[in-house]
Amino acid sequence: MNSLVALIKREYLEHRGAFLYAPAVILIVLTVILIGSLFSNRFHMAYEVGAPSALKFFEVGFLGVSMLWAIYLLAALFFYYADAFSADRRNNAMLFWKSMPVTDFKVLASKMLAGMTILPALIYGALLLTAVLIYFTALAGTLVLPQLALPGILEFVSSAVQIAGYVLVALVLALLWYAPFFAWVGALSTVFRRWSIPLAFLIPGLVGLAENLVLDNAGGPRGGYVLDFLRRRFHFGPDERDLMPTIFADGPFNATTMIGRLVAGIDWSQMVGGLIVASLLVYAASEYRRRSLAT
Amino acid sequence: MNDLAQTPVAPIVSARGLRKHFGRTEILHGLDFDIPAGRIYGLVGHNGAGKTTTLNALLGLTSYEGTVRVLGEDPYQKRAALMKNVAFISDVASLPRFLRVRELFALLTNIHPNFDQAKARGFLDGTDVKMEARIKNLSKGMIAQLHLAVVMAIDAKLLVLDEPTLGLDITYRKRFYRRLLEDYMTEERTLLITTHQVDEIEFMLSDIMFIRDGDLILHMQMETVSSKFSQVLVRPDQVAAAMALGPIYSETRFGQTAMVFDGVERERLAQFGEVTTPTLSDLFVALMQRGPAK
Repeated sequence: MNSLVALIKREYLEHRGAFLYAPAVILIVLTVILIGSLFSNRFHMAYEVGAPSALKFFEVGFLGVSMLWAIYLLAALFFYYADAFSADRRNNAMLFWKSMPVTDFKVLASKMLAGMTILPALIYGALLLTAVLIYFTALAGTLVLPQLALPGILEFVSSAVQIAGYVLVALVLALLWYAPFFAWVGALSTVFRRWSIPLAFLIPGLVGLAENLVLDNAGGPRGGYVLDFLRRRFHFGPDERDLMPTIFADGPFNATTMIGRLVAGIDWSQMVGGLIVASLLVYAASEYRRRSLAT
Repeated sequence: MNDLAQTPVAPIVSARGLRKHFGRTEILHGLDFDIPAGRIYGLVGHNGAGKTTTLNALLGLTSYEGTVRVLGEDPYQKRAALMKNVAFISDVASLPRFLRVRELFALLTNIHPNFDQAKARGFLDGTDVKMEARIKNLSKGMIAQLHLAVVMAIDAKLLVLDEPTLGLDITYRKRFYRRLLEDYMTEERTLLITTHQVDEIEFMLSDIMFIRDGDLILHMQMETVSSKFSQVLVRPDQVAAAMALGPIYSETRFGQTAMVFDGVERERLAQFGEVTTPTLSDLFVALMQRGPAK
């Protein structure tokens, strides 16, 4: 167990640029942007489109930046997996790690787990710091625009906890949902290194194209079974049209309701199947790594 | 040529019929050898002779045909478990460059059960390698010192070094081998080393293996080498007579003829000129130019 934790820590040390330093820079930029918003008419606009109180401004802002951080996280993880699975070869450190008493499966599993735990946790931490920034911006907004109602601190805290809880659950479920995609690009990276990025899309694209051009797809879904499956598999979470009325409703954000809707909307057989596929891909990649010449 | 005696205890390394193919090309042609505990072995051969492939097979880094046992285990199937008792340097540039020295030691403490951080720090005392230094900022010589400190801090039964001093200057190379002998080698430990600079490690070897085109052409203890092979600086008037004894190698340089003999008594050779034991590099050159020794 110690060695697995140490290997996960190694991933943090190797990739902290994308998951610690870059978010820190983004936070600084966000601070500047939020301070700048105090001197624009954004608060008037927010008031006019349905944020009658500083609390609603905070909630909408928190959920908005959570969405942005989630997009950043998923993109960063895609590139992380495309890099990490072949990083030891690229860094010419493969022989050193092969001299350690850890299996290739454990090494690759640690990379997979790092992308599912410590690295997203860093982004989640940045997200919480952003919430603090938005809180102070909302408070300052009540000074700029006195008609914005100023709620008590407890209401802010309650709202922050609700949203942070919802975002945490949504992120965890999203990571589990997309795990097979990450394992796919990681496994490709083990063999094809940086070419895994285009190949991750090219291979399923070609399979889908072959299905459409070579096989008789009469009666099947539009675009063929493969592309239809991928389209459904790429989608995660509730529809935006369902979310907006809930977010802009007069009452405070209710995490329990939102999590319930999120969980109910997930195809759990797909989720479990995806995790099994992810495990098999990591295992196959580790066998390739074990059998390929070390350099 | 093999003077292996039957060893009463199980050897640290044992290979029988070790073959390796890359595509249709056979790189190793069925090597048979044992390496007993407590010895310092030199594996010497030209570029492409099969040294690194042999070591890779012993370390479980590549598949092979035949039977290989390291500490009683199949290295290809049990590499990870084996690495608790086997340490190796296959490339001095292979340390993870993104880490600081301190971070490397902290990770190894948790990853390798036989790594002793205090020992590693001790080995770095008196060197220019600082704990806060980033590995990517260290010179090649400093990285070699760091890598050696890492493997010497691992309590291993077998240490394998594949060209560990490649690209280092003479000062670092001498310091590297002196450190290895003084601070690491014990009777319980076995060292297997390959290098092109054979003369630099000759003093420390107990056994030597020459490999040529995937075949072992020499495998013997160093004491046997000195009793079996002789080099004679033949006087000009004795060249024809000396040639009649069938030297395995002859070279004339600056008017002097040096001949290497295999298995000819030194008393017989003394009449032709000064008799010495050939250096490993002289012997290597001699044996690379003839068929497998009888």
